[in-house]
Amino acid sequence: MLTFKLALKNLLGAGMRTWLNVAVLSLAYIVIIFYNGLIDGWNQQARHDSILWEYGQGQLWHQSYDPYDPFTLQEAHGTLPQSADSKALIPILITQGSIYPQGRMQSVQLKGIPPHQQLLALPTHSLDNTTHVMPALIGKRMANTTKLRKGDQVLIRWRDKNGTFDAREIVITEIFDSDVSSIDNGQVWLPLQGLQEMTGLQEQATLWVAGGGYQPTSLEHWKFQSQDALLANLDAVIQSKKASGFIIYTLLLGIALLAIFDTQVLSIFRRQKEIGTYMALGMTRLQVVGLFTLEGGANSLLATVVGSLYGVPLLLYLANTGFAMPAASDNYGLTIAERIYPVYSVGLILGTIALVVIAATLVSFLPSRKIAKMNPTLALKGKVQ
Amino acid sequence: MEKNKIISIEHLTKRFPVGKGEFTALKDINLEFRKGEFAGLVGPSGSGKTTMLNIIGSLDSPSEGKAMVLGRSIADLSHQEAAALRNRHIGFIFQEYHLLPVYTVYENVEFSLLLQGMEASKRKKAVMEALEWVDLTDKVDSKPAKLSGGESQRVAIARAMVKRPEILLADEPSANLDAKNAHNILQLMKKLNQELETTFIFSTHDEKVMQYLDRIISLEDGKVVKDEKMKVEF
Ligand SMILES: Nc1ncnc2c1ncn2[C@@H]1O[C@H](COP(=O)(O)OP(=O)(O)O)[C@@H](O)[C@H]1O
Ligand SMILES: [Mg+2]
Repeated sequence: MLTFKLALKNLLGAGMRTWLNVAVLSLAYIVIIFYNGLIDGWNQQARHDSILWEYGQGQLWHQSYDPYDPFTLQEAHGTLPQSADSKALIPILITQGSIYPQGRMQSVQLKGIPPHQQLLALPTHSLDNTTHVMPALIGKRMANTTKLRKGDQVLIRWRDKNGTFDAREIVITEIFDSDVSSIDNGQVWLPLQGLQEMTGLQEQATLWVAGGGYQPTSLEHWKFQSQDALLANLDAVIQSKKASGFIIYTLLLGIALLAIFDTQVLSIFRRQKEIGTYMALGMTRLQVVGLFTLEGGANSLLATVVGSLYGVPLLLYLANTGFAMPAASDNYGLTIAERIYPVYSVGLILGTIALVVIAATLVSFLPSRKIAKMNPTLALKGKVQ
Repeated sequence: MEKNKIISIEHLTKRFPVGKGEFTALKDINLEFRKGEFAGLVGPSGSGKTTMLNIIGSLDSPSEGKAMVLGRSIADLSHQEAAALRNRHIGFIFQEYHLLPVYTVYENVEFSLLLQGMEASKRKKAVMEALEWVDLTDKVDSKPAKLSGGESQRVAIARAMVKRPEILLADEPSANLDAKNAHNILQLMKKLNQELETTFIFSTHDEKVMQYLDRIISLEDGKVVKDEKMKVEF
């Protein structure tokens, strides 16, 4: 405790240099917490949106279905066995097709969904067939790439279950706005029954989305994907974004630590007489090593205080107003909102403080070890090399 | 008589490695100091005065021979034991004052007592008393950079004396001071020597200091060439 008080006093006594080190270190704090908070916030929003718009409480997939291989769609459909708890499930049928906006062909996935479903946030009620034409629902990204607008008619082509091509006009009855791009890019949502008739796959579906209360049981030809399993991929991709930020803030933290290290080396050299005096007054060498280590380490405590003075308001402001993500990320097929609201967990904050304190103490300890080998008489004369 | 002998040095030799060889700074020294002495090591620069004080103060240790200080053999002390000896029983005063720059006068004087773990109320009393001895109670909150040379050395005296050490080692304490301040601190130390019975050992080649000494030990080239009492003991 004594040494700690002395350390803090020495550090504050060093003036300008201390405040420079503290400024850089506190900046490293803010960047680390902000960046990780941003990613965590993104992850939370993306999980929430993905559950709301796509995954529900899990999905029951036809055994042949592989979302990364469109060729499996030819086989991946069937009816559910009687034993299935189908009340808590909504069916989705997926088939490959093409769309011809302004006469240009674009390949799409046609997805059939019951118009009256309430499980997913998709505004499927607009698929309620009141006219003779086939109503269709597309997302804002799809609308953008195809230049289709609400009310437009467009030609689609698909193969039925026998592989025969067929074509018809559909009408865009709604354009939905969702942050989940994987239900939007290259997809056209149709009434389930309509798509079943078009393909001749009556009563069949590619997958079923589970609502609350669904009890997964083992079913022949179907495999259940839990919500966590479906989200695992998203989590992994978003967490991997943390790695790229790591480089930036490690660099920043590295600069701050280097500055502390440098200050330590210099101050141990310049303050030899002081070190000799401490020993003459009865401090042991280890106490002096401890004093200088604490002195350097205390930079991190000052940085915590200074960082929270300007960092807390700044970080809270950003958490409230959100942070606009560059639109480019949108095109990678990742679920991402236009504004991300950073989330700062207790673990993130405590972890960052621990990281900075330990790192600063360590870089202060390394040069301070030299004191343990100092001869007090030479130190008093200022003649230690 | 034997009881009052607080320092005894027998056949002490100190060598320093210099380049590939060695330099002998002290050669076969035999000396004794008794409680309450006001003695000085006198000699030209390089004669070994500082080396002698450093060994008595346990900052350094003999190459050969024996240095017994307050019943402890300096050569046999561990780092911790030597530090504890200095903290409680030996005060140092240096030519360059060596005040701790970021601490106030009060904190400089308090330092040894803090290290000892003395309780706050006792500490405060001792610090204020020491500052009264040196007449600096009006400078408690000043930083060393604001003090004159004479004031700095008085703070150093207070810092060394606050723990009421048995031995006070003063290495050329007047070298950076003008005549007036030199006399001032010598009178001060003489007074403390008489009031507290602290043994003072100086290193000096300053005539002004010598006139206060009860005993002058002359060193030349690391050897004691003369050891004379200046006053009849009473
Ligand atoms: N650590 C050391 N290494 C080498 N030589 C030293 C060392 N300390 C002192 N000396 C030498 O020992 C001699 C005595 O030094 P010192 O005790 O400082 O003399 P004084 O205090 O009388 O001027 C000098 O010649 C000095 O150069
Ligand atoms: Mg000297």
